[in-house]
Amino acid sequence: MNKFLRSSAFTLAFGYVAFGIAALILFAAPLWYAYYVTLQETRVEALRTDSQRLSEIFRRQGVSGLSTYIDNRVGMQIPGERILLLADSTLHPLSGNLPVWPASVPPESGEFDLPITLAGNHTRAMFVHAVLPGDYHLLVGRDQALFAPLAARFWYGLSAAIAVLSIAGVVGGFMIRRAVLMRVDSIHGTVQAIVRGDWSHRLPTKAGSDELNTLSTTINGMLDQIEQLLHGVRDVSNAIAHDLRTPLAELRSRLEELSLTRPDSEETFAEIEEAVVDVDRVILIFNALLRLAEIDTGMRRSGFVPVNAADVARQAVDFYLPAAELKGIALLYRGTGPAHISGDPVLLAQAIGNLIDNALKYTSAGGAISVEVHELPVSKIQVTVADDGPGIPDAEKPKVSTRFYRGDASRGTPGVGLGLTLVASVAKVHGGVLELGDNHPGLRANMVISAQAAGGALQSVLSSSGTQLAAAAAADPAAAKLENTAAAGSTSAAHNLRIRSVS
Amino acid sequence: MKVLLVEDNERVTRFVVKGLQEAGHVADHADNGRDGMFLAASEPYDVIIMDRMLPGQIDGLAIIEALRKSGNRTPILILSALSDVDERIKGLKSGGDDYLTKPFAFGELLARLDALSRRLQGSGTQTSLRVGDLHIDLLSRKASRGTRAIALQPQEFKLLEYLMRHAGQVVTRTMLLENVWDYHFDPQTNVVDVHISKLRQKIESDAERPLLRTVRNAGYMLTADE
Repeated sequence: MNKFLRSSAFTLAFGYVAFGIAALILFAAPLWYAYYVTLQETRVEALRTDSQRLSEIFRRQGVSGLSTYIDNRVGMQIPGERILLLADSTLHPLSGNLPVWPASVPPESGEFDLPITLAGNHTRAMFVHAVLPGDYHLLVGRDQALFAPLAARFWYGLSAAIAVLSIAGVVGGFMIRRAVLMRVDSIHGTVQAIVRGDWSHRLPTKAGSDELNTLSTTINGMLDQIEQLLHGVRDVSNAIAHDLRTPLAELRSRLEELSLTRPDSEETFAEIEEAVVDVDRVILIFNALLRLAEIDTGMRRSGFVPVNAADVARQAVDFYLPAAELKGIALLYRGTGPAHISGDPVLLAQAIGNLIDNALKYTSAGGAISVEVHELPVSKIQVTVADDGPGIPDAEKPKVSTRFYRGDASRGTPGVGLGLTLVASVAKVHGGVLELGDNHPGLRANMVISAQAAGGALQSVLSSSGTQLAAAAAADPAAAKLENTAAAGSTSAAHNLRIRSVS
Repeated sequence: MKVLLVEDNERVTRFVVKGLQEAGHVADHADNGRDGMFLAASEPYDVIIMDRMLPGQIDGLAIIEALRKSGNRTPILILSALSDVDERIKGLKSGGDDYLTKPFAFGELLARLDALSRRLQGSGTQTSLRVGDLHIDLLSRKASRGTRAIALQPQEFKLLEYLMRHAGQVVTRTMLLENVWDYHFDPQTNVVDVHISKLRQKIESDAERPLLRTVRNAGYMLTADE
C-alpha cells in the first residue's frame, strides 16, 4: 500500500478525485442557491397571502371576528404548521399560538427572517408582520426548522456523490497501476539489469503499437546502438593495445638502450631524433583513432551543410596531382556536373583524399587513377576512385571492417591501416556505404552516399545495428524506407567488399 | 616578441619557455587560471598561449572570453589536449585566434605564434606583394621574378601568396594545409612537400638566388635575406 501511495498512479487518481469533487461542488453551489432562493420566495409568498386573507377577515368582522377565526385555525392545524398571533397596540397577545410577542420582531410592518424561541426551542422563523387599522398587530409566520430535512437531504446527496467519486478514483488508480504502471515497473527492472552490466536484456514488447510499446521498441533500438558502440570501443581498445604497443615498445627499448650504453653525443642525438619519429608515429595512430571514434559516434553530423561533392573531389584531385605527376601516374577527374548533398565537407575531403592516397600508393609508374562523381537515381551520389594497381586478393575480403588491418602486399609501405576504415565510417555517417570492386585490373572503390539531409544518415547509422525504429517509421515512412534500403545495402556490401591496407 | 604562457603542466611549461627564450623571445608564465587572467589583463603581450584545462576556478576559455569582453585584442593561441572538431570550434568561438592540439612540435607552435603576432600588423588591403625580386600582383593574379614572368596554376598562386604574406616566418605543413587548401586533417603523405618543390622549380631558376627555404623539423620559409 505504501508503494501505491508513492506511485504516480496514486497521484493521478488523487488528482482526478480532487478535480471531480471540485467540479461537483462548483456544479452544486448554483443549484443549491437557486433552490434555496425559490423555496424562500414561495414561503414568503404563502405567508403574505395568508396575512392578506386574515387582514380581510379583520376588515369585515373586526378584532373579535379575527380572534375567533385565528383560535379556530390554531385549534385545527397540525402543530407548528403556522405561527399566528394577533396583538393589541401594546403588543399584548389577543389570540394565536404564541404566548408572547417575540421580542426580536419590531413593531413596524414588514417581512423578517429571525431567530426566535418556540416552546423552549431555539430556531429560526419567517414572519410577515402587518399593522392593522386601530393599531392591531397581525403576525403570520412559519418555523424554518420544518424545512431542515429537505436541505439535509440535498447535502446527503452531494456527500454520497463525492463518496462514489472518491471510491471510483481510488479503484481507477489501482486499475491504471495494474494496467500501465506494471509495465513501467518491468521496464524499470530491465533497465536496472542493464545498469548492472547484463546487456542481454531487452524490454518486453507486445504486438500492437500503444505508446508504451513504441517507447519500449525505441529504447530497445537505443540499447542495440549502445551495445554496438560498446563493442566498437572494445574493438578499438584491442586494436590500440595491438598497434600502439609495437611503436611504444620500440621507443622504450631505444631509450632504455640509450641510457644503458651511453654512446657518444652524436649517436645519442641521432637516437633521440629517431625516438621523436617513433612518438610522432604513435601520435599519428592516436589521432586517426580519435578521428574515427569521433565519426563513428556520429558527432560530426552536427556539421552537415549543403556541399557539392564534385567540387570536393575536384579539389582533392588538384591537391594530389603534383604527387601523382612525380610518380608518373595519370590522375584524372571525370565527373558529370555538380553533385549536391548534405554532408560534412571536411570529412568528405578526407575520405576522398584517403582513397586517392591509397590508389597512389599501389599504382606503379605509367598507371592511371580516375576519380569520378556521379549522381545516381534515388537521390544518391557515387564517388569512385579507380586505379590499375594490383587490387585486393579475394582471401582478404572478410577482413574488410577490421581496424589496423594491413594486407600482406602492404608490408613495407607507410600507413597505419585505418584509411579505408575511415572512408567506410565517413560513408556510413553520410547514410551510405563503401564498396570495393574490381577494376580489371586494379581496385575500384565506390563510395555511395545519400544525397538526403542528415536525417537519412541518422536512420542508416541506427539501421546498421539492426534496429527498426517504430516511432521514427510511424512518423516518417519515407525515412524508414531509406533506412531499410541502407541496411540492405550495407549487408550486401559487406559480402562484396575487397579491401587492402591503407594508411 | 613578448609571450604569456598560461599552462599548468610543468614539463610543457619548461619546454615552451626554454624554446621561446632560445628563439629570442621574452616569456612570462602562469600555472593557474587566476594568475594567468591577472597577467593577461595587466601586462601588454604580443601573443598569449592559453591551455584550456587549468587548476583553480577559472578555465582557459573563460579567461579568453573575459579578456575579449574587456576589449583586450591580444592574439591568443589555444593549446589543448581536446582535439575534437567541436572543441576546436568552441575554442575559436570563445575568442581564440588559433588552436593547437597537444602533443605538438615546438616548431609548429613557434611558427603559429609568429604568424599570430604579425597578423595584426600586416592586415591592410595590399594589391601586390614583394620578396626580394619576386613580385606578385594580387589583382591580376600574375607573378614575376625580376623581368621574368612566372606562369602559375591558381593553386600554386594561392600557395605562393600565403608564403609571401608570411615572408621571413616559418610556415609549417599544417598551416599550409589549413590556409591554402582548407584541409583540417592530416593527409599523411608528403603532398605538401611535392607542391612546394614544384613551386620552387618555378620561382627559382638555376641562375637565381634561392628564396624558399626548408626549415628542418618545422616547415618552410620564404625570405630574401641571406
